[in-house]
Amino acid sequence: MNLFTSSTLLTLLMLITPVMVSSTDFYKNNKYQHYVKNMTLLAFITSLVPMTMFIHTNQEMLISNWHWTTIHTLKLTLSFKMDYFSLMFMPVALFITWSIMEFSMWYMHSDPHINQFFKYLLIFLITMLILVTANNLFQLFIGWEGVGIMSFLLISWWFGRTDANTAALQAILYNRIGDIGFLLSMAWFLHNTNTWNLQQIFMLSQNPPTLPLLGLTLAAAGKSAQFGLHPWLPSAMEGPTPVSALLHSSTMVVAGIFLLIRFHPLTENNKLIQTMMLSLGALTTLFTAICALTQNDIKKIIAFSTSSQLGLMMTTLGLNQPHLTFLHICTHAFFKAMLFLCSGSIIHNLNNEQDIRKMGGLYKILPFTTTALIIGCFALTGMPFLTGFYSKDLIIETATSSYTNAWALLLTLTATSMTAIYSTRIIFFTLLEQPRFPPLMNINETDPMLINPIKRLLIGSIFAGFILSNSMPPMNTPLMTMPLHLKLTALTVTTLGFVLAFEINTYSKNLKYPYSSDSIKFSTLLGYFPTIMHRLSPHLVLTMSQKLATSLLDLTWMETALPKTTALIQLKASTLTSNQKGLIKLYFLSFLITMTLSMLLFNYPE
Amino acid sequence: MSLVHINILIAFAVSLTGLLMHRSHLMSALLCLEGMMLSLFILATLTILSTHFTLANMMPIILLVFAACEAAIGLALLVMVSNTYGTDYVQNLNLLQC
Repeated sequence: MNLFTSSTLLTLLMLITPVMVSSTDFYKNNKYQHYVKNMTLLAFITSLVPMTMFIHTNQEMLISNWHWTTIHTLKLTLSFKMDYFSLMFMPVALFITWSIMEFSMWYMHSDPHINQFFKYLLIFLITMLILVTANNLFQLFIGWEGVGIMSFLLISWWFGRTDANTAALQAILYNRIGDIGFLLSMAWFLHNTNTWNLQQIFMLSQNPPTLPLLGLTLAAAGKSAQFGLHPWLPSAMEGPTPVSALLHSSTMVVAGIFLLIRFHPLTENNKLIQTMMLSLGALTTLFTAICALTQNDIKKIIAFSTSSQLGLMMTTLGLNQPHLTFLHICTHAFFKAMLFLCSGSIIHNLNNEQDIRKMGGLYKILPFTTTALIIGCFALTGMPFLTGFYSKDLIIETATSSYTNAWALLLTLTATSMTAIYSTRIIFFTLLEQPRFPPLMNINETDPMLINPIKRLLIGSIFAGFILSNSMPPMNTPLMTMPLHLKLTALTVTTLGFVLAFEINTYSKNLKYPYSSDSIKFSTLLGYFPTIMHRLSPHLVLTMSQKLATSLLDLTWMETALPKTTALIQLKASTLTSNQKGLIKLYFLSFLITMTLSMLLFNYPE
Repeated sequence: MSLVHINILIAFAVSLTGLLMHRSHLMSALLCLEGMMLSLFILATLTILSTHFTLANMMPIILLVFAACEAAIGLALLVMVSNTYGTDYVQNLNLLQC
């Protein structure tokens, strides 16, 4: 038991060392990248120890280190919660980060600030692990904000590009809106349960009212790009491909879902929150799947695919299955990261070409990347006995056989078939057919720093589902009987999607493309959501504020109300009451006559 | 009323008529104003001296001081009118009409 605590803390401490070294000379030379990558590898191996101990003994642990402060009755300590979720997530996250760091040594090879890039990736990893192992809400919030900041810094890595800055700002703003919900829940818990520790919260509020859970759902919607707060995720593809692979597919965007998984003892008693999560997730998954169907940028298609899977995770939480959601997080991380790495390989080899309409015929040229891409897409769609099958098929089975909202179920099934459709789109446009890129391309994939990460993630994509689901202790009684048509639902809709997509893709072989009706614009313009929300509401708000501040306050109240009105009234009164015509002699004469007449009349009355 | 007083009062009345019925020049009005002031001064002095009303001995002198100030202001206005219009005809003073 001794090794449990020490290896966990050693994992976290090992990762801080390269960050501390960055103020010395070691930061400046080329060895720093290898140092960071090797540290991550060692941290991964060290984190395997607590994971295997947990699988063996099923004993959770809580490490409470350092008493920071006590404010009245609130005691804040530095505490780490080592339960099933954090212990299984840490090795997965470290494995994927190790692979991505090795990949980015190839991808960002010619970047002058590559050491800073690695430092940022490492700080991101540290804050993510703080988030995952936090036992109180304050520490979780530190990790939460930390991943938000690192996301901002990494999306705007190429900050000379306007779109990158806009995308980073968009990410920060949408995450901030979610943070409002987080702070609301923190305040509610502090007020009602007098603590931010998870154990005390779970003990004291068995049937919580909806408000704190609503706040947590809002926080998850902001961080995990649910519908309404989703546009930042496709825009975040402005960052380099390793950033997209690490942050916006595997680790950061699942932070919101992870938060809701952590609070599953509270959500399992509140039916309203479950219905809300179910509907929000179903809407997200269908909407982003529709948007993914007509995108032309390969990274954006994979981003929307991530968003769709996040919606699926939220739906699973709405079905009261937190452990299944967690399994989907882990398996999804493998194949999504691998898809991003393959797209990075394609992009770099085609000289930074990201538009799939200008790729093609890479089937024979890049055999390894082709293999990885196809297996990744199959794993994504839930091909039987690959990784995605163990989580995705189970989710669909649970959804079809539980007493739940039929509309949400229908949306989820439609989105599942659309997953197959856009996966086929990626495969068809990038790999098959004739090449559509300029002929003089220097294409090779012989560098081991490119091949080894993809190879590792490939093995993970094939076997990790099996391994993870076998090490998962069963939380509910599994469903023993199921009608055959319900069992085959996921497979059927996926196959339907594949067939439909292949049929449609052959249309593009004609020379004249028959343009469809205007309803395709709904998908290409991302459902008009960015157009309306990013243009219309700021315009309305700014116009209203201009009217209030300038016209109402300055011009009306301060200028016209008293001073100018007084001047105007005086002017009008004087023109009304005086009718002078400047006849001075007449006025004098009348004065004289009046005076004489009055003196005569009053002196001689008779 | 003694004859001297009536004489001075008639002088005052003639100046008043001249002030109110002048023809075209503003200067004549100002001159008649001065005549009014002068006749008032003489009337006051004669009355006070003949009734030995010593307490009011200051009054004509103060009246003269104020008349001088008023003459100065009148001349300043005349100069301004003359600068604007070239002459001091009264029919030019019709800017305030509406």
